[in-house]
Amino acid sequence: MLESLQHLATGFTIAATIHNLFYCLMGTIVGTLIGVLPGIGPIAGIALLIPATFGLHPTSAIIMLAGIYYGAMYGGSTTSILLNVPGETASVITCIDGYQMAQKGRAGPALAICAIGSFIAGTIGLFGLVFLAPPLAQAALAFGPPEYFSLMVFGFVVLSNVTGASLLKALMMAIVGLIIGTIGLDPVTGDARFTFGSIYLLGGIEFVAVAIGLFGIGEVLINVEKPAGMLEQRVLIPRLRELYPTLRDIKRSIGPILRGAGIGFGVGLVPGPAPVIATYSSYMIERKISKTPDDFGKGAIEGVAGPESANNSACQAAFIPLFVLGIPFAPPTAILLGALLIHGVSPGPLMISLHPGLFWGVVASMYIGNFILLVLNLPFVPLFANILRIPKKILLPLIILFCITGMFTVNNSVFDIWVMLLLGGIGFLMRKWAYEGAPLLLALVLGPKLEVAFRQSLMISHGDFGFFFNRPISMAFLLATMIFLVIPLIRVIFKKTMKGGGRQ
Amino acid sequence: MKRDEIIVGMVIFLFGAATALLSLRMPIGTFRMAGTGLFPLCLGILLMILSAAFVLKLFLQHKKIFTPKETIVKAPGTIKQIVLFVGTLGLATLFFNKLGYPLIAFLLIVALLRILGMKRWTWNILLSLVTAITSYFLFVQWLKIPLPKGWIGL
Repeated sequence: MLESLQHLATGFTIAATIHNLFYCLMGTIVGTLIGVLPGIGPIAGIALLIPATFGLHPTSAIIMLAGIYYGAMYGGSTTSILLNVPGETASVITCIDGYQMAQKGRAGPALAICAIGSFIAGTIGLFGLVFLAPPLAQAALAFGPPEYFSLMVFGFVVLSNVTGASLLKALMMAIVGLIIGTIGLDPVTGDARFTFGSIYLLGGIEFVAVAIGLFGIGEVLINVEKPAGMLEQRVLIPRLRELYPTLRDIKRSIGPILRGAGIGFGVGLVPGPAPVIATYSSYMIERKISKTPDDFGKGAIEGVAGPESANNSACQAAFIPLFVLGIPFAPPTAILLGALLIHGVSPGPLMISLHPGLFWGVVASMYIGNFILLVLNLPFVPLFANILRIPKKILLPLIILFCITGMFTVNNSVFDIWVMLLLGGIGFLMRKWAYEGAPLLLALVLGPKLEVAFRQSLMISHGDFGFFFNRPISMAFLLATMIFLVIPLIRVIFKKTMKGGGRQ
Repeated sequence: MKRDEIIVGMVIFLFGAATALLSLRMPIGTFRMAGTGLFPLCLGILLMILSAAFVLKLFLQHKKIFTPKETIVKAPGTIKQIVLFVGTLGLATLFFNKLGYPLIAFLLIVALLRILGMKRWTWNILLSLVTAITSYFLFVQWLKIPLPKGWIGL
């Protein structure tokens, strides 16, 4: 424990250099801007800015990208409260009471509680990360190819189960992502697959192109379709002096903040869109234990404090599986994994010992980033809110130009821009037919790892599939996977039985 | 809308079938010593099974239980706008290397602003010029990103 604290102190000396502080500050500000703009969520935001980090040291690059992630999550809450438009999916719950508070002229306290709650949850999450990551990394050393394979399958199924309207659709998207991930050189034999003789495809499909295409261009096209001027007329911009919560607000919020932080951290450790589940769970729990549950939905500050803290805490906890296992459980951390790989850092159980400077520096920078968000963003809320007044017809071309420039920068290749545009079109159609992009992206990033784990396991076991069930950890993950696959079926059968019973 | 859903399901099925067929052209090997094509073959078959189940489920449903968030087509004007928007992006990509970054940035913004409804040419050109110059200085001069110079040589 003491050792972890010493490492954390070293991390702070790395993160607190002028250079890294600057990138942390840049990341949080840019992230907030991205979060505030409806349509450009944290996934597209991080993907868009990866090329901007190419010239940086890996530690500075990841510090900046992690800052963008936090900032985007925070910015998303701002639009939820002021506009009733969630900047990203995790802020949907904040809309319920946050916007009601804004309607009653209490947007300031709602935004302030968001920032304070996020900071407290971030602090709790930081200590969780510091004390849990090293022992978990030790435990992860016992993971062999079958355990990794089963864990990744479990991750896909859980993510597919909780995203979107249909499990089948989400699973299909995960398989499509895995197929796209097989394009290029075979990770085991080095033979070319699905390249059709093109040298551009030998390196595989650039995941940044898929991320920007699906989540950036796809969202822009959705916005092109919407009528003009939908957003800019409804912005409620609080004045600076209205921003501070009363003592009563803080008293009412402290319980939900602490509970939200705990829920968020626990949920963040398991596969799936942790922030979404965490915010939803926190809101439900707060409403259930509240003495005045009827206030929820009408502007209860607990309905903002709890979910926002859970959101931040879940984001922080999501870094643990990424750093410790090298397996991201959610799309934003999948993008961060891609960024780490681009910078020559391969996350996994040995990351803490092989790259201690990067690991502890990034951990410390998360805390600094949270502090920057608390100190800087609150006074700048009116400024950020004004960004929403930029007409869509000006904003969308700028985003497009940034997407194209960013995409070209990755490999100096026009081919990547074509791929991005193609995926943008597909992303647009996917939204139209309610197909989730998150399982596809996660599968694309994890696909090569999954294949290697699958083939290595079969090689070790001489082609015996029972090997996956003979090892206890692997079996536990596969059993959990089966449960997650069977639950929706049981739910459907139960509903049908209830309906049938109702008719009689 | 159910018909569209079925068509999408079938397209996904065909994608799975194409993957499986193309995988069969590669060495498959055995489970003990998997070849290059084994993993994509398994994925292709799995996708075919899932999409077939999805289509079958839709066929068996007597009533529409799922409504997409938005309709596919809102108005003829919207389709035209989307087609023009995507077409402009395609043209910009096609001439990206030939015309060079600053010029493409300017022309792209001019076209997109026009498509999105900026009627006044003076504002349009001024805004596009400012954007192109700013992005040129930001990406090319400051961040030193080697973007195509094109025939204007900037």
